[in-house]
Amino acid sequence: MTGKKPHKRFDSAVKDGLRNLPGYLILGAWCAFTLYLLSWVVAASFSTTKEIFSGNVFAMSSGVHFENYVSAWTTSKVSVFFGNSILYTAVTLVGSIAICAPASYALARFRFRGNRLIQVILVASMSVPGIMVILPLFQLVARAGVMNNAAANRVVLILLYIGTKIAYTTIFLYNFFTGLSYSYEEAAAIDGCSPVRAFWQIMLPMAKGGIATVSIFNFLGVWNEYFMSLIMAGSDKVKPVAIGLHSLINSMKYTGNWAGMFAAVVIVTLPCIILYLCLSEKIIGGVTGGVKG
Amino acid sequence: MKKQKPLTLLIFLGPMLLIFLGLNVYPIVKTVAMSFFHIKGITDPVSKWKFTGLWNYNKLLHTSLFQRSLLNMGKIWLYGGLAIITLSLLFAVMLTRNIRFKRFFKTVIYLPYIVSAVALSAMWLQYVYNPQFGLLKKLFTALHLDGLASTPWTDADHKFMSMMVAYCFGMIGYFMLIWFSGITRISPELKEAARIDGASRLQADRYITLPLLKGIFKTILTMWTISVAGFFTWSQLFSTDGAELSTITPTVYMYSLIYGTGGTTDDRQAGMGAAVGIILSICTVIVFMLCNRLIKEEDLEM
Repeated sequence: MTGKKPHKRFDSAVKDGLRNLPGYLILGAWCAFTLYLLSWVVAASFSTTKEIFSGNVFAMSSGVHFENYVSAWTTSKVSVFFGNSILYTAVTLVGSIAICAPASYALARFRFRGNRLIQVILVASMSVPGIMVILPLFQLVARAGVMNNAAANRVVLILLYIGTKIAYTTIFLYNFFTGLSYSYEEAAAIDGCSPVRAFWQIMLPMAKGGIATVSIFNFLGVWNEYFMSLIMAGSDKVKPVAIGLHSLINSMKYTGNWAGMFAAVVIVTLPCIILYLCLSEKIIGGVTGGVKG
Repeated sequence: MKKQKPLTLLIFLGPMLLIFLGLNVYPIVKTVAMSFFHIKGITDPVSKWKFTGLWNYNKLLHTSLFQRSLLNMGKIWLYGGLAIITLSLLFAVMLTRNIRFKRFFKTVIYLPYIVSAVALSAMWLQYVYNPQFGLLKKLFTALHLDGLASTPWTDADHKFMSMMVAYCFGMIGYFMLIWFSGITRISPELKEAARIDGASRLQADRYITLPLLKGIFKTILTMWTISVAGFFTWSQLFSTDGAELSTITPTVYMYSLIYGTGGTTDDRQAGMGAAVGIILSICTVIVFMLCNRLIKEEDLEM
């Protein structure tokens, strides 16, 4: 009896494994392809253009070429685009939380006429294509001559990023606040704390988790944004990474610096990958948070 | 829910509403208005606008390039949608099974979604599809499939296909996660309760699992439609000269109408560009309405 039990368990484990074999094969093949693709690009970024064309980037036969990164970072001005994107994402994240968190809290907690309407309009606006807002805004900006002034252009870009994230951030945090208990504010109100103070000092710290999640998605969204930046970034000086990388890829293709091009691709992608690897649990868990409660 | 003083409400909601009105509502209303005017340059003063009613729409729908862009978008929506929705569902179902390395699989499959379209398309265009040292070239050469190995994946005939494959590869992880969270949200207790009440396994699937999945399917269809309607970056990156017949989408067409790049339009037409946006929006609304009509979501509290 006792000798048979593990055998039986082993049997069912094998059966389970066999039944899931197609699953393992398909998922495994997909992941293998993904990882191979990414690691090839990383390897290529450390090799030379000659090695890329000869078809063997993993051998590193001529050593590891960090100079690809140096040339991409300095001569190709990736550092400028990178700095711009850091600035834009940082201000956008802080700005959109400062603007959306109080609003989402009010929508979740206060009773007033138009509350439901505001929510419906916010959700509806998330499905409006970006092409619907960009023309009049570009019109305003171009007429005011903003594109010729780097500082003003940066402000406009940041405002625009905040504008595109407003509905998503508000709805995401709204879902979060509705899940928090009322008891804290009630206690605060009894102690004579104003709603504004209660929000900033008690409720906002409690929403840390939601704020972190929505900020990660906002970061990825702004870092990778292409369409609006393409239209609104007037000069090389203010271009974010996505636009900068595009023009860089085109020029490096013609000068034949393929290794440098892949180095630029890696630099631009790195912040997102690092963020993802550190916070994958939070990101994967949060994907559906803003979609539908 | 509490009643608050108007001032408190203003403090909380004011900034958000101001930005929302200024950067979302106002531009949308203005875009709608612009679509009814003949406007050449986007920065032309309002005094130079000429009201032409539905002329922009009429002209657009009779322009072959715009028709082609709509057709391309429809093809992406249908073929790409079929591929992406079935594959992501397949992945999600596999991941709900009792398998190992679940977290690893999920993490890696979602990974390309967080990489910017510019970087991801560079990986595909410059590496996977490269005719000299590309991944496909090497793979098919090793398999002695010389016909496939020498296929020019990015020429006019193959470009659209190649673009769609690369795009779907990046998107699949996102839809997989939506399916996955939907399926795992269907609590086993619900099915168990039905079984105790005398439902067969099949009936439980039919009346519990399927209706709940329908709701997720609708969400997925909505998200897919939104992303296809805004299809711009991939099309622009895959075409060599701004706008190309084989890969053009309405948003790219609009871009060329307003900025006159790519030589596809000899004269700039900002009013028509606005009308492209309206037509796109109408298309999405029609899809949403059809979705709601055809996929009846059973009323079930989740």
